[in-house]
Amino acid sequence: MKFKETDIINIVIAGTAGQGVITLKRLIEFAAQKSGIERIFGSEMHGLAQREGAITSHTRYQKKKFKDERKNLQSSLICYADADLFICLEPVEALRRGIFASQKTTFVLNEYDIPGVMITADLEAYPPLDKIVEILKEYSNNVHTINATKICFNSFNSNLLVNIFMLGYAIPTGKLPFIEVEHYEEVIIEWLRNPETNIKALHLGIDEGKKKSESNF
Amino acid sequence: MLGNEALVRGCLEAGVSYVSQYPGTPTSDIGEYFHQVLRENPSLNEYLVHQWAVNEAVATSSCAGAAWTGVRTFNPMKHVGLNVASDALSVIALNGPNPGAMVIGVGSDPGSLGSHQEQNERFYSWMLHLPTIEPHTPQECKDWVKLAFDISEKYDLVINIRTSTRSAHSRGYVELEPLKKGKKKGEFIRNIPKFNSLPPHAINNHVRLYERIERLREAIPELGLNKIFPGNNKIGIITSGTPFGYTMEALNQLQLYDVPILKLGMIYPLNYQEITNFIQDLEKIIIIEELEPFLEVKISEIAQIKRLNVEIVGSEYFPKYNEFSTGLVATTLIKIFHKKPNEQLTKALDYFDSYKEIIPSRFPTFCAGCPERATLYSILKATNHLENTVVCGDIGCYVMSFFPPQQCSDLIICMSGGLSAAIGMSTKTDQNVLAMIGDSTFFHTGLSPLAEAIGYNSNILLIIFDNAWTAMTGHQNDVLRYLIEKDFSIEKVCNALGVPWLRVEDSYNPQKLTKSIEEALNAKGLKVIIIKRECGLQAHRYRMQQIRRIESQGKKVQEEVYHITGCQMCHECSRILSCPAIRRVEINGYETMQIDDDRCIRCGVCYQICPNGAIHKSTLNLLGEEVPFQH
Repeated sequence: MKFKETDIINIVIAGTAGQGVITLKRLIEFAAQKSGIERIFGSEMHGLAQREGAITSHTRYQKKKFKDERKNLQSSLICYADADLFICLEPVEALRRGIFASQKTTFVLNEYDIPGVMITADLEAYPPLDKIVEILKEYSNNVHTINATKICFNSFNSNLLVNIFMLGYAIPTGKLPFIEVEHYEEVIIEWLRNPETNIKALHLGIDEGKKKSESNF
Repeated sequence: MLGNEALVRGCLEAGVSYVSQYPGTPTSDIGEYFHQVLRENPSLNEYLVHQWAVNEAVATSSCAGAAWTGVRTFNPMKHVGLNVASDALSVIALNGPNPGAMVIGVGSDPGSLGSHQEQNERFYSWMLHLPTIEPHTPQECKDWVKLAFDISEKYDLVINIRTSTRSAHSRGYVELEPLKKGKKKGEFIRNIPKFNSLPPHAINNHVRLYERIERLREAIPELGLNKIFPGNNKIGIITSGTPFGYTMEALNQLQLYDVPILKLGMIYPLNYQEITNFIQDLEKIIIIEELEPFLEVKISEIAQIKRLNVEIVGSEYFPKYNEFSTGLVATTLIKIFHKKPNEQLTKALDYFDSYKEIIPSRFPTFCAGCPERATLYSILKATNHLENTVVCGDIGCYVMSFFPPQQCSDLIICMSGGLSAAIGMSTKTDQNVLAMIGDSTFFHTGLSPLAEAIGYNSNILLIIFDNAWTAMTGHQNDVLRYLIEKDFSIEKVCNALGVPWLRVEDSYNPQKLTKSIEEALNAKGLKVIIIKRECGLQAHRYRMQQIRRIESQGKKVQEEVYHITGCQMCHECSRILSCPAIRRVEINGYETMQIDDDRCIRCGVCYQICPNGAIHKSTLNLLGEEVPFQH
């Protein structure tokens, strides 16, 4: 699907505390700013940052504004069923934010699960990955999963790069239009610690994403 | 910029001179941005003072005190903070902040996204006559806080710039203007009638307050805060702040481009003529506002005064609780405008409803290695899972105690409300009454109920978490840290006040703590156990820094590692301690618990409590350097 410059792009980033949801959101926003995007408006959730909670952020941008303000991006939150892209750093978090998904949504999903305390205590059940993917596929066929945590651990001996890797993995879906890879790189260099490793993770993600896109994106 | 960053920028452009606040979501990061600015520009310290107050009432009075020397002051607080500050504010609003200016920044929280309750504190605006401005974008946050200082100075009024969790934490473009240095010094000039709101001056100041607010009411159209989007539809909308964004996008989705909209930047006071001009030719007005109807009441009042024949609706269609969203506004407008429901949307919502039951819960919980979690474990053990026991909870990280699986908090009221409730409760029940309070909350408002509990020798066991940080709001470098530098101790405070039964314990020694709690519950009168153990998150960060430093010198670090073998799946560690660093996994078809090495901070509590001795400790690099846990 080709986006028009006046389209509002809606991205849901979902994960758990400490996975870098807010960092990823800001990175996309700063890169969007570098790309000369006219309006950016997004919401992040603070206050539960280190407490194992579920974290979502909404990233929204519009390359060119309409003259009529009534048609422009006006809210920092995405409407129900209106997300173009879901970047899910943890599988079940995709379902938790399902209210924002519809047939137009592309999902990129880290397969590595982080069970909550109720799962560990065996007081609740964690749905199997296949089941999660099956539910998401009812929305759209564009569900792409990868074990980003495992790949990042094997490649960089760290799970702190999962968010950047998943961004890279999402780029070939075309659901982050009007932002160039160079702009992400610039922001990473200016803003993150260990920029070289982060850029490597970004490109590793892009390569994995491209492999997928050759088969079924 | 984030909304909160933009507020700080606006203050700096307005030449703010003094800021005081108690941290609380969604306003905590305002203080962090001020600190960042001062850290990066040390020369500004001459012109700008930021203080973390012990509570909101202190912060508000501190700001008034500074304003009365003739400088500009800013006082951020969360919505419930306004309850605490309201006592002071009711008088400050009467007196007026002149010769300086005072702006309060209230962060409301519809949907209770980071708070223990939900309330519509807009009614304080009416009650205390606080002109209230509601920005929607970061640009408005920046521009309008600046304007608020001018209004405050000109009309001698305390202005409230009211954000919400959403507007405070939304990010967008902000066009900057030059910074202005605040006044280095002011001077207090004696004016007994203005600053002593006691009879007869109290009444005179009340009269004067009405004069000031009426002068501002007349001037509202010139301020440029309110904006009309014209349209020919006979149904119009009045809204403000965050709901304005939802409204615009909902109308866009429904392709209703002819609905006239009045976007209020200032929601109190309202200019009668401005409102009348907008509503007089319309048949119906929809008020879109979160929580209890405030604008609906105030606009109906104007329609009534002006004898206008217009139907005003809002709360009969929209919920009076929880936050709104574009989807909610759109589905509600569909009903009011008799539009056909959007099938794609309905289908997606129905589908979500069909599977949401299987989503496991993921509530916030204590971090791995949290000393508060370990304390709850000991409480559960000492009381045989709260048998014949009531636990009065409070505000801090331990507010999360009520979540399963520990479920170790029976009630929450407000800052220090737990201990206060325990005082009354203990006179009327023979159950064990426990109360919990953290160090920051203890200083916020906890000293007073403690004094009372000592006075009456209330039959309570009070647990004080002395973790050295205001942890829940993000470890601000607040007054608690300054007190710690000055070698203060809660133990000394308790002794000085005359606590009859006092122990200092460490929750990383669960057997000893459990025994102490058992003993306390067998004793009559007031018992206090201070849990002296630093916030695990901060202690771990500090320790990791030390380790990185030592390793970068090429030296080895001695490290304790915990692992599980022979697990009997008794769930002592997962249900009663419930540490999130412990995972349930399947290995070769057998279920076992496993310690997530990445998240474990080596507190060693699980190792001590495992009834089957299945958690083992080994020490790596025995000859390496030891890095102690506490600092």
